[in-house]
Amino acid sequence: MGNIIGNIIVAVILVAIVVAAVAKIIVEKKKGAKCIGCPYGKGSEGGYGCCCSLHNDTEVN
Amino acid sequence: MKIALAGNPNSGKTTLFNAITGRIERVGNWPGVTIEKKEGPVKKNLAGGKTNIVVVDLPGTYSMSPFTQEEDITRSFIKYEKPDVIINIVDATNLSRSLFFTTQLLELGIPVIVALNKSDLNRKKGTVINVQALSERLKCPVIETIATSGRNNGLKELISTALKIRGTKQEAPFVGKVANSNDKSEIEAVDRQRFEFVKSVVSEVEIKKHDDNRLSRQDAADRIIAHRWLGIPIFAVVMWGVFSISQAYLGPFLADIFVGWIDAFHAWVEGILGEGVSPVLRSILLDGIIGGVGAVVGFLPLIMVLFFLLALLEDCGYMARVAVVMDRFLKKVGLSGKSIIPIIIGTGCAVPGVMATRTIKNDRQRRTTAMLTPFMPCGAKLPVIALFSGVFFNDSPWVGTLMYFVAVALIIAGALIIVRITGERNAKTYFIMELPEYRFPSLKRAAISMLSRGKAFIIRAGTIILLCNVVVNLMQSFDWSLHVVEEGAENTSILASIASPFAVLLIPLGFGAWQLAAAAITGFIAKENVVGTLAVVYSITNFIDTEEFELVGGATNVAGVMGLTSVAALAYLMFNLFTTPCFAAIGAMRAEMENKKWFWGGIAFQLCIGYTVAFITYQFGTLFTTGAFGTAFLPGLAVVIIMMSVIAYFAGKGEQKAAVKATLRA
Repeated sequence: MGNIIGNIIVAVILVAIVVAAVAKIIVEKKKGAKCIGCPYGKGSEGGYGCCCSLHNDTEVN
Repeated sequence: MKIALAGNPNSGKTTLFNAITGRIERVGNWPGVTIEKKEGPVKKNLAGGKTNIVVVDLPGTYSMSPFTQEEDITRSFIKYEKPDVIINIVDATNLSRSLFFTTQLLELGIPVIVALNKSDLNRKKGTVINVQALSERLKCPVIETIATSGRNNGLKELISTALKIRGTKQEAPFVGKVANSNDKSEIEAVDRQRFEFVKSVVSEVEIKKHDDNRLSRQDAADRIIAHRWLGIPIFAVVMWGVFSISQAYLGPFLADIFVGWIDAFHAWVEGILGEGVSPVLRSILLDGIIGGVGAVVGFLPLIMVLFFLLALLEDCGYMARVAVVMDRFLKKVGLSGKSIIPIIIGTGCAVPGVMATRTIKNDRQRRTTAMLTPFMPCGAKLPVIALFSGVFFNDSPWVGTLMYFVAVALIIAGALIIVRITGERNAKTYFIMELPEYRFPSLKRAAISMLSRGKAFIIRAGTIILLCNVVVNLMQSFDWSLHVVEEGAENTSILASIASPFAVLLIPLGFGAWQLAAAAITGFIAKENVVGTLAVVYSITNFIDTEEFELVGGATNVAGVMGLTSVAALAYLMFNLFTTPCFAAIGAMRAEMENKKWFWGGIAFQLCIGYTVAFITYQFGTLFTTGAFGTAFLPGLAVVIIMMSVIAYFAGKGEQKAAVKATLRA
């Protein structure tokens, strides 16, 4: 009986850890993170600079 | 209320933005760090309790006439989004250049405040700016700021002035004639008039102490540090020093303490679980989560010391010199001068590095840079480097240094190959980068950079790495009939059966064990996973202080457990570092390349490079150390020859294309 309760507690802890990790990933993704955790890997927040097709530095052929 | 921060590159806009909003956006002591706009609310204590004030950090620009994509973002925002107030950040140490843009902003009819930033540096140089006179000449408020300082930085006054002048009208001190945009001489004439006006303002308000010695000292230092040839060995020595401190001295000292805590926690949990808990649950918790994540997190002190030192190097202005040294090579192989920016950003994380390629106009150069940037050792690869240099090379700082140089060599070689495949060898671009002055690096800024990257490392360990370790542990614990695999029979597990076919392909590279193949595969999810998976599959909870641990398989050290020679270990490290990057970076590549052919070609190219580099390292390394080639030399050679033939075929087609283009041009 003790073992069953022990196993259930460990299983619940494991599920909680996994759910928390998945939830954190979902939250980060919703915030626009392209690389989880990376403070500089987020997409632009206002649309500017996001996949702009205008590229115009100096080119000499 | 919306406040825009606009100014020249490297005037300190993002530093000011971070100080005003409390955020930690990436700053760098070189121009071009910000490539897109960023928004954030003003800190309550600066805004007098108001919460509706939003500050927008814009990429640096020299004028309102867009020349680069970043400049166009700034111009478009100011022109079309119409912020309520513009804070024009002016580099007080370079007043004459900065005011050109200021006069253009003052013509727009939006209230402008000039933030005279870096005022502290001016004081140190003995330069005096008459703020009152400048304000009168520009007909707008001018406030001295020190964005890097926590106190007396002028930020409160800056925000309160912004609130006061909102909705007011300002008279432009200089109104340029509207020039015909197609008439170059007319534009130049207007610009000349503007420069004359700026010159007259500066001559009235600035008293500069000419310190020729200071300038000549900077120049003399640059003549050595940014020298075309001397710069390379200097960079090698600097990186060796950085890796020595982070991986041989201070880093391991801190890591030993940290790992001790993780071990104690592991033992504590093990004690609580006792013997009654199911072996599978016990294994997931102890080996998968605590062991696997702990093995990765154990490297945190080493990584943080490394990040701290790299941030110091960047802040003092050294990394800008490295960019100058490397830029020469990149331009010679057909890359854009701007390619150096993504590559340097890629040393932190490949994702923002790849994203930074969007400022490169030429499609081929942009896509090539996006394909090659992930070769740079990013933060996620550092634990892998630290693990292998520690376990197989006695913490030698040369391993880490070597990885940076191999990465640069591969970028150059890769660019040379791609330029031939595309047949666009003649396209050359010029990129002018203003070198920041050398300065004493800020410990605070370096600490902030270190902490934000350390936090990112922990978040990744607690999310992606943790989940992967759980999955790896489950796949190792069960066979396909979902029966628990008995100890010693791990070869029958789901993980082993999936990884084994890949392991066969890796035999010519010196690491044909399924455990190593599994770790390399999970590395595609996140590179730190290589360490985490190795910890799980070999049941090693600690890669740093292994003396007190009983290792599996009767081996007395980690190298013995893995069954690798030093040469094979180096090949394995190179394979993981220089093959296709993690999925996040792959996603960024897809977005920036905007072309399926380039994208899939890039993935295949990266795989080929990783395989070939590992093959050469293992086979020739084994030849040099033992006098004979390693295992499966001929099959491996056949694979490499096939891959190289495919590349050569496409390069040949590219040559033909180039020849046709040259004929048409002639």
